[in-house]
Amino acid sequence: MNPKDSRQNTQRIKMKTMLEPYLFILPVFILLLFMFGYPLINSIIMAFENYKLSNINDIYFNNFENFKKLFGDSDFLLLIKNSLVYVVLSVAGQFLFGLVLALALKQDFKGRGIYQSIVFLPWAFSTFVIGLIFRWAFNGEYGVVNDVLIRLGIIDKGIAWLGTPGLSLAVIIIAMIWMGIPFFGIMILAALQSIPEEVYEAADMDGCGMWQKFWLLTIPYIKPTIIITILLRTIWIFNSFDLVVIVTGGGPANYSQTLPSYMYTKAFSGYDFGLAGALGTLLMVILGLYAVIFLKLSNYDKAGDF
Amino acid sequence: MKKKLLLVFLAAIMGVSSLTGCGKKEGGNTAASASAGNAKTEAKSSKSGDSLRFLDVSPSETRQRYYEETFKKFKEETGISVTYESVPWDDAADKITVLGASHQLPDVMTTWSGWLGQYTQAGWVIPLSDYIGETRSEYTEAVNKLLWKSEEERYGKIYTVPDGIMVKGVFVRKDWAEEADIKLDPQAGWTYDDYFSLVAKLTDSTQKRYGVSYRGARGALDPLLTYLQGFTGGNTYDAEGNILINSPECQEAFKKWTDIYLNGYAPEDSINWGFTEMVDNFTGGLTGTLINDSEVAATCLANMEASQWMVMPMPKSTVDNKIYNTINAPYSYSISGDCKNPDNAWKLIEFMNRPNNNIEYCKLTGLIPIKKDVENDPTYGLDGPYATFVQQLNDPNLAVPTTFGPFDYTDLHQGMFHEEIQKYLLGKEDANKALSTITDELQTRMKKYLADNPDAKIETASVLSK
Repeated sequence: MNPKDSRQNTQRIKMKTMLEPYLFILPVFILLLFMFGYPLINSIIMAFENYKLSNINDIYFNNFENFKKLFGDSDFLLLIKNSLVYVVLSVAGQFLFGLVLALALKQDFKGRGIYQSIVFLPWAFSTFVIGLIFRWAFNGEYGVVNDVLIRLGIIDKGIAWLGTPGLSLAVIIIAMIWMGIPFFGIMILAALQSIPEEVYEAADMDGCGMWQKFWLLTIPYIKPTIIITILLRTIWIFNSFDLVVIVTGGGPANYSQTLPSYMYTKAFSGYDFGLAGALGTLLMVILGLYAVIFLKLSNYDKAGDF
Repeated sequence: MKKKLLLVFLAAIMGVSSLTGCGKKEGGNTAASASAGNAKTEAKSSKSGDSLRFLDVSPSETRQRYYEETFKKFKEETGISVTYESVPWDDAADKITVLGASHQLPDVMTTWSGWLGQYTQAGWVIPLSDYIGETRSEYTEAVNKLLWKSEEERYGKIYTVPDGIMVKGVFVRKDWAEEADIKLDPQAGWTYDDYFSLVAKLTDSTQKRYGVSYRGARGALDPLLTYLQGFTGGNTYDAEGNILINSPECQEAFKKWTDIYLNGYAPEDSINWGFTEMVDNFTGGLTGTLINDSEVAATCLANMEASQWMVMPMPKSTVDNKIYNTINAPYSYSISGDCKNPDNAWKLIEFMNRPNNNIEYCKLTGLIPIKKDVENDPTYGLDGPYATFVQQLNDPNLAVPTTFGPFDYTDLHQGMFHEEIQKYLLGKEDANKALSTITDELQTRMKKYLADNPDAKIETASVLSK
C-alpha cells in the first residue's frame, strides 16, 4: 500500500469513528424530532394563531391576542395561585413522607419486604384509578373520609370537600402526595443504601449524635438524589392535569383549576387550541426558568462532593 | 453543568409541549386520529351499488351490534352489503371534514344537526326531500313540524332523517312522592312553582334525601335557559339581537332557580356535578328529581324498580302556560355527496327507519321513534316508560325554545356559563352580576354575528301546534 492510500485509509477510519456516535443516536434523534420537536414547534405557532377547532376554516395569525386574553382572564391570578399551592404542597408532602418512609425502610425488620411492596403500591396505580378512589373517598354524602371524621367526633356534619373552594384543591393535593410518596421513597432509599457504613462507624467513634449524623452525613450524601428528585417531581406535578380533571374538573368556579388543567380544558373542551398553545408556551417558559434557577441555587454540580 | 442545564430545560419543555402541540390541523393529524378510531376504512366510497359504507359518529358496543345485525337483515332482503365504520364522537367532525375534502365520504353517515350548515354548503350531503316524498305523512308531527321544517327554513330542503327524537322530562322518585303524600299526574301537567314545591318537600338531608340532582358544572345553564325562556316566549334575543333573558323577571327567575341549591335542596357537592353525577345520584337514591333527556329512561329501567320512578312532563311556564322543551334528533342519517348509488343508500335509510327497526333502535338508545306507528308498541304506549315523553310531543302547548345563538359558543358552554353561576352560588358575586356577565357576552356575540351576516334571521321559538 503506497503512503497516499494509507493516509486516505486513515482519514476514512477517522471520519467513520467520528460519525459513528452520531449515526447511533440518529434514530432516537429523528424519533424525538417527530414526537417532541413537531408538537413543540406546533404549539408555539398555535399560540400566535386564532386556532379554534370549532371554526377550522378560519385559522389565522393573531399576534399576541391569545396572550392578551390569557393575562386578561379574571381567573388568571387564581390559576397561578392554585398552581403554586398545588406544586409546593404536593412536592413538600411527597418529599417529607418519602424521606420518612426511606429512613424507616433502611432499618432491617421482620416483614420488611412485604411492607415495602405494600407502601410502594400507589406508584403502580394509574392516576385515573387514584382520582376515582379519592373522588369517592371525599364524596360529601357517602365518602369514607366524612364518615371517619364524624365517627371520631371531629365533625358533626359531612363536609362538601369537592364543592368547597380550597377544600377541592386540598383533596387533589392529598391524592397527589399519596401517589408520589413511593417515588421519593424509592429514590431516597437507594441513595441511603449507597452510603458506606464506615462513615457512620467513624462518626460514632467521634461521638456524633443521631441528629448530627443525619444533618452532617446522611443529608449531604443523598443531596444529589434529593435535588434531582425534587426537580423532576416538580416538573411532573406542575405538568400533571389528570388528577384535577378526574377529581373536580377544576371546579367549583376554577378554585381547583391549575394552569395545565386549564390548558387541557381550553384545548379539549373549548377547542381553543390557540389559547391552549399560549398557556403551553407560558408553562414551558416557567418550567424552563424554574429548572435553571433551581439547579443554580441548589449547587447541583457541587452536590455530593466531599 | 451547562449540558446538564440544557438537558433539564429540554426535559421540562418537552413535557409541556406534548400536551398542547398535538393539535389537529385540517388534513393533518386528523386523518391519523380518525384511523385510530374504530373505522374499518375502505379507500373510497363504494363504487358498486351492491355494497355501501356506513359511518357511525357515536359508536358504542350496543349501537355497533344493532347496526351490524340490521345490516345483515338488510343484505338478506336486498342483497346489498353494508360495511360498518365508526369514529369516536370527539373526532367525528374532523374526520368527516377530511373525508369530505378528499371526496372519500362513506355512502350513508350519521350526522349532527350542528354540522349541516357546513355540509350542505360543501355538497357533502345530498337533499332527501324527493326520496321522502309522500312517506312524509308516516313521520310524527315533531319530525315534520319541528326538525324538517327547521331544515327546510335553513337550507331550503331536507337533508337528514332523524334516528330518533330526544325530548326532556322530569324524572321523579315516585316512592318518595307517595311517602310524602304528593299526588303527581303526568297527564295533568304542572308548573315550575309546583316543581320547586316538590323539590322542597322531597328534601330530608338527615335521611340523605335531596330534592334535586342539581347541575352545577358543565351544562348548568341549559335547563336554566329553558326556565328563563318561559318568561320571554321561548326566545333568547329580540328581532334586533338584543338579549331577552336578563329582564328583571328573568333575574328573579335566575335567583329562584339557583335557590334550589342555596336552600339546601341539592347536595352541596352538586355545584360540581355534570350529567354522570346527576344520573348516578338519582338512580342511586340520593336525589328525588332529575331534569334530563328521554335517554336516561333506559338507565332508570336498568337500575331501578318500576315502583321507584316516574316521569313528569317539563313544567309549564307561569307566564303563557306553554311547555318549553328542547327537542332534537341526536344523530340523523344522511346520504353523502360522494355516494355512487343514492337509491341504494336511501333503501338502507328506509330499512333502518321501518317502525320495527326504529323502535328496536330507540329502545336501545332511549329515544322516541320517528314514525307514527309508535303508539302500537307498549313501550311507548300510555302505560309505558316513555309515555310522558310521547305525550309532550303531542301536546299543543309544546314549544321549542331557541338556542344560545347561531354563533360558536363552545368556549362559553365549557367555561363561563357554569363558572359565573358557581361564583354566585359560592357568594363570590351577586346574581345580577353573574347573569349579566353571561348575557352581555351572548349579546356581544349575537351583534357581531348579525354584523357579519346581515341577511341572517333571528331564530324564534317553534310551536308544534302551528
